[in-house]
Amino acid sequence: MHAFARLPVFTPYLAKRLHRYLFKSVLSFRCNVNYFLRRIFSTMKGTLCCMLAICLAIASCTKDKTDYEAELDDSVIEHVEFQEAVTISSEGYNIRVEALNGTFYKGYNEVRLQVTNASGSVEHDISAVTFLPINMASDGRENTCPHQHTLLYHAEQDYFSGYAVFTETSENVHVWELQISLTVAGKTSTARQAITVRPQVNKNLSMTSFVGNDNAQYVIALVGPQKPTVSENELLAGIYKYNEPNAASANRLEFAYTPVNGYTLQLDPRMPEPSMGNHSSPNNKDLLQQANGLYRGIVNYTMTGNWTLNFIMLNDKGQIIKGTVVPGDFTPGVVGVKSALHIDILF
Amino acid sequence: MLMKRLTLSSLLLLICIKAVAQTDSTTHIEAVTVRGKAKKKMETDMKISVSVDEFLASSESISFIKRGAYAWEPLLNNMGMERSNLTIDGMHIFGACTDKMDPITSYLEVNNLATVDIASGQSGNMHGATVGGSIDLKRRNTAFAERPTWSGAYQTGFEFNNKQVFNLGNVSFADQRFVFDGSASFRKAGNYSDGLGNEVRHSQYTKLNSAVGMAYKTGRLSSVRVDAIFDQAKDVGFPALPMDLWLSRALITSAAYKQLFDDGIVKAWDSKVYYNAVEHYMDDTTRPENLVHMDMPGWSTTYGLLSNLQLQRGRYSSEVQLNIYDNVSIAEMRMYPQDRSNRTMFAYSWPWVTTRYAGLSLDNNWALSDKSQVNLGGSLGLHYNRSKYVEFNRIFHPGAPQEKTRALPSIHASYQLQLNHIHFSAGTGYGHRAPSVSEGYGYYIYNSFDRYDYIGNPDLNNEVSYEVNASVGYRKEKFGIDVKANYFHIDQYIIGRILSLGSPMNYQSVGVKGYTSLDYATLFNVSIKGDYHLSHNVHWNALLTYARGQDDRGGNLPFIRPLSYQTALHYSRKKLGIQTSLNRDFAQAHFSPEFGEDRTAAYTIWNVSADYRFAFKPCTATIQVGVENIGNTYYSTYADWGNIPRMGRNIFTSLKVNF
Repeated sequence: MHAFARLPVFTPYLAKRLHRYLFKSVLSFRCNVNYFLRRIFSTMKGTLCCMLAICLAIASCTKDKTDYEAELDDSVIEHVEFQEAVTISSEGYNIRVEALNGTFYKGYNEVRLQVTNASGSVEHDISAVTFLPINMASDGRENTCPHQHTLLYHAEQDYFSGYAVFTETSENVHVWELQISLTVAGKTSTARQAITVRPQVNKNLSMTSFVGNDNAQYVIALVGPQKPTVSENELLAGIYKYNEPNAASANRLEFAYTPVNGYTLQLDPRMPEPSMGNHSSPNNKDLLQQANGLYRGIVNYTMTGNWTLNFIMLNDKGQIIKGTVVPGDFTPGVVGVKSALHIDILF
Repeated sequence: MLMKRLTLSSLLLLICIKAVAQTDSTTHIEAVTVRGKAKKKMETDMKISVSVDEFLASSESISFIKRGAYAWEPLLNNMGMERSNLTIDGMHIFGACTDKMDPITSYLEVNNLATVDIASGQSGNMHGATVGGSIDLKRRNTAFAERPTWSGAYQTGFEFNNKQVFNLGNVSFADQRFVFDGSASFRKAGNYSDGLGNEVRHSQYTKLNSAVGMAYKTGRLSSVRVDAIFDQAKDVGFPALPMDLWLSRALITSAAYKQLFDDGIVKAWDSKVYYNAVEHYMDDTTRPENLVHMDMPGWSTTYGLLSNLQLQRGRYSSEVQLNIYDNVSIAEMRMYPQDRSNRTMFAYSWPWVTTRYAGLSLDNNWALSDKSQVNLGGSLGLHYNRSKYVEFNRIFHPGAPQEKTRALPSIHASYQLQLNHIHFSAGTGYGHRAPSVSEGYGYYIYNSFDRYDYIGNPDLNNEVSYEVNASVGYRKEKFGIDVKANYFHIDQYIIGRILSLGSPMNYQSVGVKGYTSLDYATLFNVSIKGDYHLSHNVHWNALLTYARGQDDRGGNLPFIRPLSYQTALHYSRKKLGIQTSLNRDFAQAHFSPEFGEDRTAAYTIWNVSADYRFAFKPCTATIQVGVENIGNTYYSTYADWGNIPRMGRNIFTSLKVNF
């Protein structure tokens, strides 16, 4: 201030100005710092918000992951519940025939029968139930399909069980009927009822019928798995042979088809899609007969999609009845060659 | 050889020590975070502006498998990613691509890195079980400052061969209580041309990376820090593969708490929780030659915790670290039939594989005298795997367990001696590693190098490594030479072998290979490094490396670098620097035909660059111009996937401004 004091007029003014200037600049510096800090914290907030947004954006990935289970559910509908397919009345008894989803499909069908008497309670006094699917050709001749004639009784659940392999759907001019005989207290009654056989949309339960090298007619029906997965699957199939009717036989329909025993179904699963180049899978096992008469093997599906089960059927003497060896080469771009005996599946 | 931080960072260490020595009362935090100051070193001899890959390539122990111009797969001690620990500040993060198209180094950018710590062999077990060693990428981490300080850098440049443009910027603010680090970078490159002038199609890439970090000082000796990195690569071509990358993104986040102690044996305690998510989507629609259209998305999500204690008393110092992480890796493949009305075909190539690891690592150092010290360390980890859709794995391995728990022990010891001009070290180690997700649970992962589909085996045994290593060096004022060697004997070495089972799924492939364990394999690495100051201005250095890998029958292991050398001459005068380097790989005599390798011819690459530094207050700037592969040599390296040719002559320019 001393220096300024020497300046007569301007001194106080200048001093004031200088003081104010200095003060202001300090102040403004402070303000600047504050401003900066505020800016930084607001940037921080902004960045945090931004980070959060990015987090959310990432967490909800750009592309959704495949819901594998849902996709399998969509592609194959699995039926696990037995529901009433038809009820037949027979001399005071009500015969309730159950099938999976309450529908008879072309191919293998497990059936369950429950008999109720007039009073509405389950009849326990049944000594035998026989089951016979009949189809009527256009010329009126009666025919049947592979089936279990004498049904098995399951005491604990109180029903009879068996199966039928419907070889055609009702749509294709076939008229199907079920003929069921009950033996109650030594008295046999027989009833017959028309039924509807629908096409099997699940290709994993497809069937094929063919004439073998032995000139016999065969039916192979897939029994399981209904809903395969990309995994090792237990493959179940029934193999049935048509027996030429014996003219003398009165009840020829009953014996028209019988399960074959001691056969082998050699398995070679492949993807026929050209882009898959005849892709196959490892660790498969040929189908061999089990105690219950069905044939069991192992099939591995390495991915979802179309597969062909290529078979070679050998009889109990090891002779080829039907089927050809398919090439094992990897041939991208070429539709896979299928065996003369095969079933296409899809899941 | 415990703290055998090979590196790149021995120099840094010096800087660190200097910085520590200079610190005043504000202090220790700076001491611990001082690595941030090493940012100047994220460059190589030849280039001041490099990619992370180029930077790593300047280390003698790292080589690369290259599938194109982007996302090279680092090999440490000639061992792939599954044998080494790749971490970011100790955080585990796993790529989401089954074809290793996204090593984690591809999710970073040089301007958010401070340095890279490379530890060889078992000395790299601080962050978890390993065989080959560890590569820890250290992020930039500015220290608290006495007065509010802004600093930053900006790099830009253009590379002519592939028309690469890059812009990298970073800025930091620090005061007594608060630190902010931020960076953003953008790179875009077109196809490069090989030495014959042919354009290598599908070698373009675009990369965006940004990072923010904030630290707050909660007490005189404690601080918290949160970090996040976001990285996105789009439209990345992989000329060696039948498909490209449409998009890959990574979000890498962490929150850390650090406490320092004035007295007592515990000096620092540093804990961190982290989360990272990676998504990776391949794209084959740009390859009309492909017979099959295929989607191959992958996701990898990791949560983790790490807690590190640093102890010191007198001549004894120790580091204890707890590592815990949980990772889920998912990869899908969906093939589209030629008749698109047919159903698509779907499978998991990683069937939702969970990996959990919890381990404690310990590293002790005793300075026996001023001249010698002993390191002794070890780790014990529990490693758990679970495959959600184990039925995929059971197709090739019926009855394989859904869950598997392994114990992964590791120990290592080393001795270091420093005489007048000679230093010497010797060490040994023993350690286990668990199979990687692909090795354990991979399902039809197509390898375009040997053209096989690979199948993992959940029942693989741990790989068990026995190693010895030694180094000897001599240094006198103007001259230094260093010889390092290590030898690994790895029992139950995991490698793919042709399976007689099954058939390929990917249409390009020729067969199926399954990961199996060899009885053993051996790997030998040796490097000789020398430097000489010819005069005050002229400095020469050279590096010679050799490696040999053999399986139990004496056959060659794949991806082993042949004899190679790099030599460089630097001239600096005032603000000008000129350098030239010569890199040569000799012919690959020990190749592995089983893995699709063929004899790769020798090649020599000559590079030259010049830089000039200048200052305009408050900034300093460096400008550089250089040429890589001056002779326009047409070549591919031993580890170029499918023998794709490398880049021909490339003129690069860059400008770097620091303030």
